[in-house]
Amino acid sequence: MIADETNPICGDRMRLSLVIKDNRIEAVRYLAYGCPPTLVCGSVLTELINGKTTAEAKQLTRADLLESIGGLPSRKHHAAALAIETLKAALEP
Amino acid sequence: MPLRRVYLDNSATTPVDPRVAAAMARAVVETFGNASSVHGFGQQARAAIDRARREIATLIGARQNEIVFTSGGTESNNLAIRGVCEAAAVHGRHIITSAIEHPSVAGVCAELEKRGWEVTRLPVYGNGVVRIEDVAASLRSDTVLITVMLANNEIGTIQPVSEIGSLVRERRAVGQKHLWLHTDAVQAVGRLRLNVEDLGCDLLTMSGHKLYAPKGVGALYVRRGVRLHGQNVGGHQERERRAGTENVPGIVAFGEAAKLAREEFEQRSLHDRMLRDRFEDAVRERISDVVMNGDRERRLSHLSNISFRFIEGEGLLINLDLEHVAVSTGSACSSGTLEPSPVIRALGVDDELARGSIRFSFGKDNSEAEVDYAVEVLARAVERLRALSPLTVGSR
Repeated sequence: MIADETNPICGDRMRLSLVIKDNRIEAVRYLAYGCPPTLVCGSVLTELINGKTTAEAKQLTRADLLESIGGLPSRKHHAAALAIETLKAALEP
Repeated sequence: MPLRRVYLDNSATTPVDPRVAAAMARAVVETFGNASSVHGFGQQARAAIDRARREIATLIGARQNEIVFTSGGTESNNLAIRGVCEAAAVHGRHIITSAIEHPSVAGVCAELEKRGWEVTRLPVYGNGVVRIEDVAASLRSDTVLITVMLANNEIGTIQPVSEIGSLVRERRAVGQKHLWLHTDAVQAVGRLRLNVEDLGCDLLTMSGHKLYAPKGVGALYVRRGVRLHGQNVGGHQERERRAGTENVPGIVAFGEAAKLAREEFEQRSLHDRMLRDRFEDAVRERISDVVMNGDRERRLSHLSNISFRFIEGEGLLINLDLEHVAVSTGSACSSGTLEPSPVIRALGVDDELARGSIRFSFGKDNSEAEVDYAVEVLARAVERLRALSPLTVGSR
């Protein structure tokens, strides 16, 4: 399952590739184009969802992601938003 | 790889030369008088300022009393543009400038625009150079100021200021007496041989910290006869053009830096060019999908602006910084805005390339070993980021 999302304002992009078996995320990889927070959000996202069920992964919020990273300046929150958007798109039935 | 700090951001600022620092330190302690005081302490300060003034004037082929000391390039640009425009407003309210000026020039022009001035911004085309035909075509009977930088800070391209100077002289000769030419020469001073007669400019901005002097000091060349309204008023300093007790240590430092720049011009130019060319050759050889921004010939010899496809500039900058290589980027993320560098965009470059642009600027303290190290680090960083990018051609 592959999802591509783009932030229309700054042009940052993320691609998430998931291997899902029996509703569990067996493998996940990301590609990202954009400023460092975007790259970091992609990376941390994959760590957070790897091995989780799709139901659990769907629960992940922007706030969870930001907390795992240790916070970002507010003007960089779009990076976390992009990551969650991409995740949502990847988990669409 | 040896652990070292490699500073390749000399166009942002330069390290202070130890000789300049020494001259400044002496002045801080020994030359503390107020230059406006009549007594010996004051006159000692006055003499120190005048010595520095002579050096600055010599560097650009000007007369001593045509040099006004300021707090830096931004203040000089403000003084030049506002000062001339306020004095000339009865004769017209049209300014011609370029699309790639430093924010301190662009900002002042935008301010004047809000107050009813008309501003024409000349395009720079794919090579980053203003065309003289466009200047001529934009000139009107109510134009009072043309302000075009001598060399651009991001891409290093050199503008045809002396041609514009000739044009201005022609127009004056046929009656348009209140037309002035200002050039922001902050990046060019010390790197190009400057002569205000050859340039034909009436005002020229200089900044200390681009010339191996400390921050907080600059100068404005004001040709004899140019009417200028001071912006810092309430004192008689600088012949009524810029009030305020003079920053003697800063001015002494600037003077020393100007002297060294003049004496060491040849060796510095050769050195900087050699390093820049070595760097660009190595990059072309080692890294694919790069675009060199700005005219290849008409540019400063110490600067290289390169766009790296498929990756974003700030990410590359941080990666380089983590390995102690310091550069700058025109990427929006880095400057906190949403727009990539207006200078790169003005070249007609697409957003992705604009976002992926990095400026490398070499100086007298850099070495070949540093260049080689920087290229290694750069190649690895680009590879890492490209592996991570969904834009990389042929990726998955």
